[in-house]
Amino acid sequence: MNRITITLTVNGHRRTVTTEPNKTLLYLLRDDLGLHGAKDACGGEGECGACTVLMDGQPVNSCLVLAGQADGHDIVTIEGLAENGHLHPLQRSFVEAGAVQCGFCTPGAILAAKALLDRSPSPTDEEIREALSGNLCRCTGYVKMIKAIHLAAEELSHAG
Amino acid sequence: MQEFDFASPKTLDAACQLLAQTGGRVVAGGTDVIPRLQRHMFPATTLVDISRLDALRFITTEDNEIRIGALTTYAEMLESPLLQEEAPVLLEAARTVGCPQTRYRGTLGGNIANASPAGDTLPPLLVLNAEVKLVSAAGERVLPLSEVLLGPGQTAIRPDEVLHSVAFQRLEGPYGSAFFKLGKRKGMNIAVVSVAVLMRLVADGTIAGARVAFGSVAPTAVRSKHAEAVLNGERPTAEVFERAARAALADISPISDVRSTAAYRRHASMTLLRRALETAAARAGGIL
Amino acid sequence: MLAEMLTVGKSEMRKDAWSKVTGEAQYVDDLPAEGTLYARVLRSPHHHARIVRIDVADAAQVPGVVAVLTARDVPGEKTFGPLIADQPVLAIDVVRHLGEPVALVVAESKLAAQRGLDAIHVEYEPLPAVFDPVEALAEGAPQIHPGGNLVTEYDVRSGDLDAGFAEADVVLEETFFVPRISPGYMEPEASMACWNDDGTLTVWVSSQKPFEDRHAIASVLNLPVEQVQVRSAVIGGAFGGKEDSSLSILAAFAAYATHSTVRLTNTRHESFLAHPKRHPAQLRVKIGAKRDGTLVALDATVHLDTGAFASYGPAVGGLLTEVVPGAYRIPNVRVHTLVAYTNSPYSGAMRGFGSPQAHFATESLLDMLAGELGIDPLELRRKNILAPGDKVFTGVTVADTANALPVILDHVQAARERLSSIPATEGRRSGVGFALNVQTMGLGYRVPDDSTNRLEIAPDGSLLVYVGAPDLGQGLATVAEQMVAEALGLPYEAVRAVPIDTHISPNGGVTCASRMTYVVGNSVILAAQRLVDTLLDYAAGVLRVPREQVAYAAGHVKLADGQSIPLSEFASRAAEDGMMLSAEATFSFPYPEETTPKYLPVGMPHVMYVFGAQVARVEVDPELGTVELTDLVAIHDVGKVINRAAVEGQVEGAAAQGIGYALYEDVKLKDNGRWVDGFAEYLLPTSEDMPRVESIIVEVPEPSGPHGAKGVGEVALVPTAPAIANAVYDAVNVRVTRIPIQPEMIVGDRLAVG
Repeated sequence: MNRITITLTVNGHRRTVTTEPNKTLLYLLRDDLGLHGAKDACGGEGECGACTVLMDGQPVNSCLVLAGQADGHDIVTIEGLAENGHLHPLQRSFVEAGAVQCGFCTPGAILAAKALLDRSPSPTDEEIREALSGNLCRCTGYVKMIKAIHLAAEELSHAG
Repeated sequence: MQEFDFASPKTLDAACQLLAQTGGRVVAGGTDVIPRLQRHMFPATTLVDISRLDALRFITTEDNEIRIGALTTYAEMLESPLLQEEAPVLLEAARTVGCPQTRYRGTLGGNIANASPAGDTLPPLLVLNAEVKLVSAAGERVLPLSEVLLGPGQTAIRPDEVLHSVAFQRLEGPYGSAFFKLGKRKGMNIAVVSVAVLMRLVADGTIAGARVAFGSVAPTAVRSKHAEAVLNGERPTAEVFERAARAALADISPISDVRSTAAYRRHASMTLLRRALETAAARAGGIL
Repeated sequence: MLAEMLTVGKSEMRKDAWSKVTGEAQYVDDLPAEGTLYARVLRSPHHHARIVRIDVADAAQVPGVVAVLTARDVPGEKTFGPLIADQPVLAIDVVRHLGEPVALVVAESKLAAQRGLDAIHVEYEPLPAVFDPVEALAEGAPQIHPGGNLVTEYDVRSGDLDAGFAEADVVLEETFFVPRISPGYMEPEASMACWNDDGTLTVWVSSQKPFEDRHAIASVLNLPVEQVQVRSAVIGGAFGGKEDSSLSILAAFAAYATHSTVRLTNTRHESFLAHPKRHPAQLRVKIGAKRDGTLVALDATVHLDTGAFASYGPAVGGLLTEVVPGAYRIPNVRVHTLVAYTNSPYSGAMRGFGSPQAHFATESLLDMLAGELGIDPLELRRKNILAPGDKVFTGVTVADTANALPVILDHVQAARERLSSIPATEGRRSGVGFALNVQTMGLGYRVPDDSTNRLEIAPDGSLLVYVGAPDLGQGLATVAEQMVAEALGLPYEAVRAVPIDTHISPNGGVTCASRMTYVVGNSVILAAQRLVDTLLDYAAGVLRVPREQVAYAAGHVKLADGQSIPLSEFASRAAEDGMMLSAEATFSFPYPEETTPKYLPVGMPHVMYVFGAQVARVEVDPELGTVELTDLVAIHDVGKVINRAAVEGQVEGAAAQGIGYALYEDVKLKDNGRWVDGFAEYLLPTSEDMPRVESIIVEVPEPSGPHGAKGVGEVALVPTAPAIANAVYDAVNVRVTRIPIQPEMIVGDRLAVG
């Protein structure tokens, strides 16, 4: 199996990695780039969203992107969400609303929510549920996650 | 994950050459291929990544034809004003595929090439009489979708071919369409049964150009000629729809599996078809 | 006089949440380690087979493979298990379920490990397999273990069953079937074990029982317990499924055999095959009542499928036996429970621990009985609910906690009216149903149940809480911090729980059984009192004043002359003297000697109860038979809320699991002979599947509980499925006796067509 070399932008930094091709972006992030926020909860089948990252601004399951396919793209992980040490309103609202229990699904859910708010700043309950429909959570029943997203949407709209 | 060599050609020609030379297989959005690689169930040792072939990412119209490039994602289709106008039945299906994350990566070409009996876009494409363009180093050919889908996971696509695009004729209105899908839960839903319906209502109020297709109830998505024969020329009444639903049973052969039973799928197919016909008729008549 | 609490009762933000939202929280698979090796488990492809030969020669030659281990290489005990040591570390001569570990590969990279795995050759001789507990106990069934397929049997009676049924005006009998459920925590099982230069092992775990893991590891590796250190990483959910040492034993074994650091993480598929689940069961229940609704007799026979290994099966069987009669006064009862081995993936502890199974049967049957009698199901409950002073069939006298029951039923009534007034969507039939439940707290009589926790004052004056039982994500650390802060008059921010390290943490017990707030809370409150004594003793000595002249208040030592010296002064002075100001306390779950019945098997009875109820509204599509849950009102008595957001979070999360139990989830054997083993086929509720959820928290204080608190971890999972089944009946007059509810059950006779 011939190794491949790829270059991609991760959280604003250009990174070049040489690795085996039979690896997904998820494990490229975790094993080669030391970014552990994205998780493998479903065996890399794209069924749980715990590996969600933003790829060119769009929420994708990083377990469904081959390392080679990520070449040249722009990736944002949960580690890249805070700016200058300031947490994103979603990160804060998830904590404040009690939406974090075990936390394993949390990074993926926050990024899916961010992608929603980027497109739809004042989402309805239904739109939030749809945006989260690819993020499984076994602890919270989603109730406080939905509340947290509404809170963050409000805060972001005030900030203008 | 199973081991493979990876190539990421930048042109369609290069992709076709690679397929011919390596005996490898295509990967695009990866939403079907990668899970199979994880299970060590993918039948190739070279992957030819076509995700860079931007030439395959388009939605255009020319003359009376609408053409969608194979790499067009479900998200891109959903955002297309052209498709919203001209192929709502396709978008009703696209909306139900997987979840937002998979809709940003999964492609129309992939849904066809994967040839799952439950592929969501396939019944709508069948009622749109879609044709598929296949390209290889040797040239290109066009096949009706029904001739591309051969069985569960089996297509007429040759090992050295790349699925280029899908095309269908603009529909001359007024017509109505509907797509219904029954799953086991609301989110991230694989179809237990799905149905797509298209029809026109002509001047005397009867049905013309009826097209009916089912998913998840046969080895491939299938048209129901028997249902269509019952519908054409008839008024859009409950009694006609009931007869059409019964007639449809002749065209489907559902199985029992982890999601459902054959008997239930037969029952649900009839119910969904009746409802889809009511909705399509109402839309054709300008009511909905 | 009720002073406002400093922090107890408030929705304090969890401190561990901050690192979880940034991705910095370290679960086992995130822990940094230089030069680690990777282990992979070779698993049986057969349900039941004799191992003829294992050939590891080729695998050992694969570049990068460091070791290939089989049962032969295990230095100490070759089997383990929490109750019965019937589970091999690696299979010995026979494999008993699909996915059972057969060999362990340790390699320098994930790639080499996979290649090594692929190069192991095993010759099997398949044996007949059995997957049903009733069949497993029948004559001629394949024997799973040498002692036969019956693991445990309970037969508990009270009163005179025959007389009871003779008295009854109506007798109903029904058999119910409940499925095998995966706990489905998002973090698959993972462990990382490090061989240290001094010959000790440090094992990182995602586990509900680090101290017990430690003993299990020591026993398997033939090491003194002191040489094994177990440390708890952040845990990504557990729900009972991580009360199991199998993976940490394998990781430790790999590290021991190679003298290295080894990571072992299960894939989701492996988790489905080889980690504990909820027991599937078959419950045949017969109930007798008088015309006016008074319950007179109940007779139940229950078969539990514990799969290839016992795990906590016997204990689940025991708790299930106790709660079959539900929250009711029934004078003549017999519950006969049989726990059987089969070749299914094994079942063990899982949230509810026998209670969800029992209540699905009993709460469904009671609604059926109400129908038969022509009585409102709510009135039937009111007539028969336990009151303080009543004796249940195990001989336990119900305490004042039962005062919650009428309150709960009042809420049920109000919720039922409210939900019933919602008009049905066009084309659908709506129905409202409810279920009432009792959940037990504690591990059961004569099962050691002590929680030891320690407090320390750090030099800066902040409070460290060595909570000896792990936080699984439910918020145990947070409520412990709150109770300590409350006890010491300190701000919540000044108190910090310390992750478990068996070298420095006391043993707080296994996190399970809806009792952590209760036992840990009582323990830390006692420890706080002792800490104050220790502090004041020290302060008096340092200040050279008589002990009576110093007092403690709100983080300060107060002197008779009015001076007020902060904690930090003494703590930093003590640190300079080479001491820590600390105090420890052990709280044992109370079983009153005089009143606890002693004639039952070990683990029975449980003596403390929490009650709850849920009201569900469904809409059923009568043609398609699909069921949509639109509303769920959850009413739960927790005694005293320590952290409201956390309590609600537990109720909401448990309700989601209950919904999955009722409608979607089933680890079943497919036609192709393989198990459901992934999230594509094992359907967890998504955000789009959740109804409107309302939590009503009732607080009827438990006198022995910290601030009156009881437990909430499991109780909110139990009534959901029967409430939904009862709602479905209300909607379409179809009684489902099996979950998950399938549309085929609703449209039944309409399927004979075509």
